[in-house]
Amino acid sequence: MPSQAQTNSQAMAGLPETVEQQLLSTYVPPAGAYDELYDAQRVARAPWLALLEQVERLGGAEVERRWTQSQRLIRENGIAYNAFGDADARPRPWALDPVPLLIAEAEWRGISAGLTQRAKLLELVLQDLYGPQELLRSGLLPPALVYGHPGYRIALHQTDRLPTAAPMLQYYAADLGRAPDGKWWVLADRTEAPSGVGFALENRVVTSRMLPEAFRDSQVQRLAPFFQQLQTMLRNHAPTHRHNPSIAILSQGVGHPNYFEDAYLARYLGCLLVESGDLTVRDHKVWMKTLDGLMPIDVLLRRPNSELCDPLELRGDGISGVAGLLQAERAGAVLLANRCGSGLVESPVFMAFIPRLCQALLGEPLKLPGVASWWCGEAVSLDFVLANLDRLVLKKAYRSRGEESLLVHQLQLLSREQLIELIRAAPHTFVAQEQVNRSSAPAYRNERIEPTHIALRAFAVSSSGGYSVMPGALARTTSDFGPLEASTLSGEGSKDVWIVGDEPVKAVTLLSTEQEPLELVRIGAQLPSRVADDSFWLGRHLERANAAARLVRLVATRLTSEGELSDFPELRALVRGLVEQGQIEPGYAVEPLRTLLPQVEEALPSQVLDTHRAGSLAFTIGRLYSAASQVRDRLSRDTWRIVLGINEKLLAIDSDRANLADLLNLTDELIVDLAAVGGMVVESMTRTQFYRFLDIGRRVECASQSVDLLKTCLIDCRDSSRPLLEAMLESADSLMTYRSRYRASVRLAAVLDLLVTDETNPRSIAFQIDTLERHVRKLPRTGDGATAASDREQRIALSLKHAMQMIDIVPLSDAYELGQPEPLAKLLAGIAHDLPVLASAVSLKYLAHSGLPQQLSPS
Amino acid sequence: MRYRIRHTTKYAYDDPVAVCHNLVRLAPRTSARQTVNSYRLVVSPDAMLIGERTDLFGNRVQYFSIDESHHGLSLTAISEVGVEPSSEPQAKSLTWESVRAQIHSAAAPLPLAACRFAYASPHVPLNDKVREYAAPSFTPGRSILEAAKDFTARLHNDFDYDPRATTVSTPISVALEQRAGVCQDFAHVQIAGLRAMGLAARYVSGYLRTLPPPGKERLVGADASHAWLSVYVGDGAWVDLDPTNNCVPGTDHVTVAIGRDYGDVCPIQGVFVGGGSHTMSVSVDVAPLTAKPTTTP
Repeated sequence: MPSQAQTNSQAMAGLPETVEQQLLSTYVPPAGAYDELYDAQRVARAPWLALLEQVERLGGAEVERRWTQSQRLIRENGIAYNAFGDADARPRPWALDPVPLLIAEAEWRGISAGLTQRAKLLELVLQDLYGPQELLRSGLLPPALVYGHPGYRIALHQTDRLPTAAPMLQYYAADLGRAPDGKWWVLADRTEAPSGVGFALENRVVTSRMLPEAFRDSQVQRLAPFFQQLQTMLRNHAPTHRHNPSIAILSQGVGHPNYFEDAYLARYLGCLLVESGDLTVRDHKVWMKTLDGLMPIDVLLRRPNSELCDPLELRGDGISGVAGLLQAERAGAVLLANRCGSGLVESPVFMAFIPRLCQALLGEPLKLPGVASWWCGEAVSLDFVLANLDRLVLKKAYRSRGEESLLVHQLQLLSREQLIELIRAAPHTFVAQEQVNRSSAPAYRNERIEPTHIALRAFAVSSSGGYSVMPGALARTTSDFGPLEASTLSGEGSKDVWIVGDEPVKAVTLLSTEQEPLELVRIGAQLPSRVADDSFWLGRHLERANAAARLVRLVATRLTSEGELSDFPELRALVRGLVEQGQIEPGYAVEPLRTLLPQVEEALPSQVLDTHRAGSLAFTIGRLYSAASQVRDRLSRDTWRIVLGINEKLLAIDSDRANLADLLNLTDELIVDLAAVGGMVVESMTRTQFYRFLDIGRRVECASQSVDLLKTCLIDCRDSSRPLLEAMLESADSLMTYRSRYRASVRLAAVLDLLVTDETNPRSIAFQIDTLERHVRKLPRTGDGATAASDREQRIALSLKHAMQMIDIVPLSDAYELGQPEPLAKLLAGIAHDLPVLASAVSLKYLAHSGLPQQLSPS
Repeated sequence: MRYRIRHTTKYAYDDPVAVCHNLVRLAPRTSARQTVNSYRLVVSPDAMLIGERTDLFGNRVQYFSIDESHHGLSLTAISEVGVEPSSEPQAKSLTWESVRAQIHSAAAPLPLAACRFAYASPHVPLNDKVREYAAPSFTPGRSILEAAKDFTARLHNDFDYDPRATTVSTPISVALEQRAGVCQDFAHVQIAGLRAMGLAARYVSGYLRTLPPPGKERLVGADASHAWLSVYVGDGAWVDLDPTNNCVPGTDHVTVAIGRDYGDVCPIQGVFVGGGSHTMSVSVDVAPLTAKPTTTP
């Protein structure tokens, strides 16, 4: 059906097929809802014109090409919900829809004013409920609302509040939906620790990069000033008013679905990323535990729920949080944003009282209505709810963040009578809300534009005049307009939201010098012990993966070559090396070569690719990936891209169907990729303690792997044949060096010299130990005049180094060739013994966690 | 009546504790009937007392931490307290229904001090069982005091005092089921019953005099800290009730803290790192002071 807009654009562009036919022909907005793009006459609304024009100019193929590129960007940026969690699970990429949602600036001003008012109101309510409680005394809010609220904690009550204290609510978000009449409604308030702003920012980065022309022509309001305000808020509220306060995001850690956003924001805002285990309260101040001692923290952007912040006073689960944090907050030594307890008012029950409260506290009507809500704890409301049960959405009255307030699943199983009985049994625990038929907007699916239902999450931050609302939002898309799930992460998809201005906007970035220049917090110097531990393991897994890939390649190359298997007698020792690494079944170590090889040929791919076999190549790569995820915020973007690529290669391969050729390809690529990671680390990482611990991990692992392989081949298999010596050189990436020195003559003494004692060969054991000793010498010293030699790890490193220097390799190899392997065995055993001792001495002193906190038994 | 009170709590750890943080509610409350002449807290190993505040219910809360490695922790609270006899019995008392109406009225201003104690709290969930148990005492038109005392007497008769029956974390449903427990359970069950009837009741922690006056029996629970409750009788007044001893506390009871339930008044809360497992021992001595100083143990 041709429309006015269609005919117009056809006429204007003069193209055989307009974008409307090409992309929008399938776009039929559902009836009964407001459509964001088209009015009732199917004429595009004003804010969308520039975008439509640009998309038309680009054409469908170009849009598709750019979208493919953008998806790669999303993947590489690691925007995924569980990308940092379970290493086994395939990360679910952030589902971004490339078509932004466009809203006119004039309309947004109204929303903005409404949200500012709402945030002010909620702040006043929080101040009162944790303070004088006049709202309860005067009957404006029923006491049951607070005292019956499972999230209410008396420890948060401020009995002696200072007038200068920071607001409870510095950072606020609301979910909005547009009703069929075109009006926006608040669907829910988010006051605990709202998520989503990082995703909104990332959506903006991706979408504006994909559609730069449209972004420019639409005069889209920039997001950066909002983040600047967020930064200013955090800095200005720093209790000590230090010139350069330490600001940290208190994250729930890598396993938590919010971690991506936490890490992303930390990088964008230039602040520290900490977990509660990194912090300690001393002398009612908050400190971060670093390798160099305690470092003060002034401001915490709080991500965990309030009750998980202080095990001493809030006892959410007994162990989570920082003991004494509330005391430090009360003492005014640290600012928490939001302050503990701010989540109280995000329970749906408050929605029912907001209109009354607004009138009473602000003396004005609500500017932006909330979705009509009835609390069943009030007799009149209960009657209404029971009479209108069919058209209302029933929710839990009290909800804490992250918890589902919808009762969809339970309710589906109940008959109407059972439901009424359920409500009557505890009416104060239920709230009923009107359903909003949320608006529809275009979404890009399979090269077509289709309608989707949307809801917005808008954000506000406290500023000197009240609150500033972000000009933009996180749009969440759902296939129907039913109630939203609580979590931003459970939505089906998301969109960028463009607030389309009437005039061109000035570009601002976070590092703008419009105001006073930002002072960057120097993160490098202070390394939390936990991060040092993670970087140590990243180093170890990197070298372990390298050794595993190289050995697999050596074996796979020989098994796939054209020669007879009997041409490769060194295979026995190499297979045994795989067994020692834990890559294949131990039984293969004892089988004779003839029966061994056909089996290995068959079993090798599936076993080394088995992610559940501890020691297998796939397992080691998984550990490497998860170790890198743990310190994701400290790796350069390119380093991370390589790691991500490595993991994806492993995930892409089917371990049950892969053959030796696949394995050979894979290990070829892996070896290059792993070398690239190692190279990036050396090239791009500043020589902080982070680098030092990473390199200590690498050196320890590299030396251990070399010693193990030498021992397996030379001592256990008693094989020093030329092919095996060459294989060993190859596994240490030293074959070329050897050939350039000794040409074709392969002698044990020369091989051992290159692999063990030659300090100039970066793959030799001596080189590893030499590097280790230098690192250990530069580790932070505890105590004042402690001499180097008095530290245990330093003594071990020094003695190892000296032992290496004393080795005379020629008599050792002569003896070996005369049938006396004992001196060489003793040497290798000595190194094999000392390396883990050194590693654990370093670990004990710098990395060991002091353990989880416990609760005293109740007195 | 005046007392010198000495309350010692000792913790012994299997492994050294690197750091601990503690909250202490051991200072007796001051009230119309109770004066606190002195109070001090001795902590070993030495800790800096770095925080003190008053909580929502008016209890004194002290906060300290120890940053040095230690194997044990000992806290001794020493106070001198004077207790006046209660003015009970009140000649005319409101009906329990009218007290309930005060608490749940829609007319401002609400008696907030009572409303705080009228709802379920973490250790005192409300349900039909506990309401059914309380109901027989609350006959129509009965005075609040008479009904509440009748409830106290019934509870005292129905329940066995049995320290083996429950632990500090046993839910009150178990105590109600078994009809047995310690003072904490007695108090929680009666509080739950009163709240389930729409009334307000608060948990009271404190001490009993250790040795009874000549010719009187020793009270149950005197060798450790004790717990009872206080019921709202309307018009801003509260009356204490001790279901463990079936009495209205007089000069033998010393009040330390009040709260919605045990969780709000826990004498010592702590979080520590390291330590392995630990054991705890408590001793309480409540010695009467006469004009002539007596020898105190």
